[in-house]
Amino acid sequence: MVNDETRTAHLQELRRGTVVLACLVVLREPDYGYALLERLEQLGFAVDANTLYPLLRRLETQGLLVSDWNTDQARPRKFYRTSPDGEALAELLVADWHALTASIDKLHGGAR
Amino acid sequence: MNSLTDRYTWAVVRSLPEAKRADIERELRASVADDVEARMAGGATEQQAEHDALVALGDPDRLAVSYADRPAYLIGPRYYFDYVRLLKLLLSFIPALAGTAAGLANAIAQQPVGAIIASVITTALMVIVHLGFWTTLVFVILERSSAAGKPLVTWEPSLLPEPPVPGRADARIELCSSLFFLIAAVVAVVWQQVASVFQDAAGDPIPVLQPELWQFWIPALFALVAAEVVFAVVQYRRGWSWGLAIANTVLSALIAIPGVLLALGDEIVNPAFVERTGWDDADTVLVPLIVVMFAGIAIWDSILGFVKARRASRVAA
Repeated sequence: MVNDETRTAHLQELRRGTVVLACLVVLREPDYGYALLERLEQLGFAVDANTLYPLLRRLETQGLLVSDWNTDQARPRKFYRTSPDGEALAELLVADWHALTASIDKLHGGAR
Repeated sequence: MNSLTDRYTWAVVRSLPEAKRADIERELRASVADDVEARMAGGATEQQAEHDALVALGDPDRLAVSYADRPAYLIGPRYYFDYVRLLKLLLSFIPALAGTAAGLANAIAQQPVGAIIASVITTALMVIVHLGFWTTLVFVILERSSAAGKPLVTWEPSLLPEPPVPGRADARIELCSSLFFLIAAVVAVVWQQVASVFQDAAGDPIPVLQPELWQFWIPALFALVAAEVVFAVVQYRRGWSWGLAIANTVLSALIAIPGVLLALGDEIVNPAFVERTGWDDADTVLVPLIVVMFAGIAIWDSILGFVKARRASRVAA
């Protein structure tokens, strides 16, 4: 039996890219950091706040997200939304994910 | 007193670039406030909610590293091996070289032995520190420069190292030292003829060796030195074997036997040179010394050849 640390590390490795994919798809509808965190959690994407917030900025720097400060409400919030480049990447990632799923299914079928 | 959130956000943004700070701080404060609000809605006190929200975000230094999106290490995996390799190479000989040079300089300046030893040690240590510091600095800059992203050397199969042959590194050192001594011997023989330490009345140099030797023996010696060079290279490429050990003995004998005979006949050292040194009982010391030198080197070298041949045959077996 592998230890917990190893197992956690492998699970994290496997999920790392899915957070980016989820952000790009979810943010077709603009949202701010904390609300996005909640939505991702509800959708079943486990991600920590301290991973997500810097990630959003990184994706913005890469031109995959765009942001606007919304100061209409009492608490000013930074809203992110997927850019056209981000949209294109999301499509690519989703297609790749489906291909992977197909491969894993095949792997499973072959093993039996 | 500042709130925990104030202290937390400051701890995050203090290490970030000035231009990014205000924006990140504003967003982070909003996110923490959102979380605190949600936790309070869940029934926690404000104090407890703030505390838990910050715990969920974790170590501010780690968060700052994620925001900064730049390496939080001096030398990363891309350059690490190049760095270690270069450092090893430099440290393998430069401190020793510098220490020796410092010791020599102090010896020439006729300093006391203690001062010479101290100069060797301090120079070597200083050079080690300098090499370590400057090499590291260059790699740290490289790690952060815009040219980064590519390895220093693009790898290709032709860069593959040869698997080590046992004793190969020793063999290379052996080859280099053999060639060095052979060349040094030729240079010394020529030098003593054209520019000796003593001059005669006419200002011409007084050679150390008998000038008549140039008629046959010195050219013969040069031919044998050339043969030794060829032998050293062949030995380096093929490694030791019984045949080469025998050839080595023959070559040594070809140099040593005439050397000993000439020395016994007192035909090696130039009498004019001995006279000029004012060394009265030179013959009684010089002749045995030269005989022992020729014979000793030849015997030692031959034995060494056979020892290495035996070791090589054992490795092969």
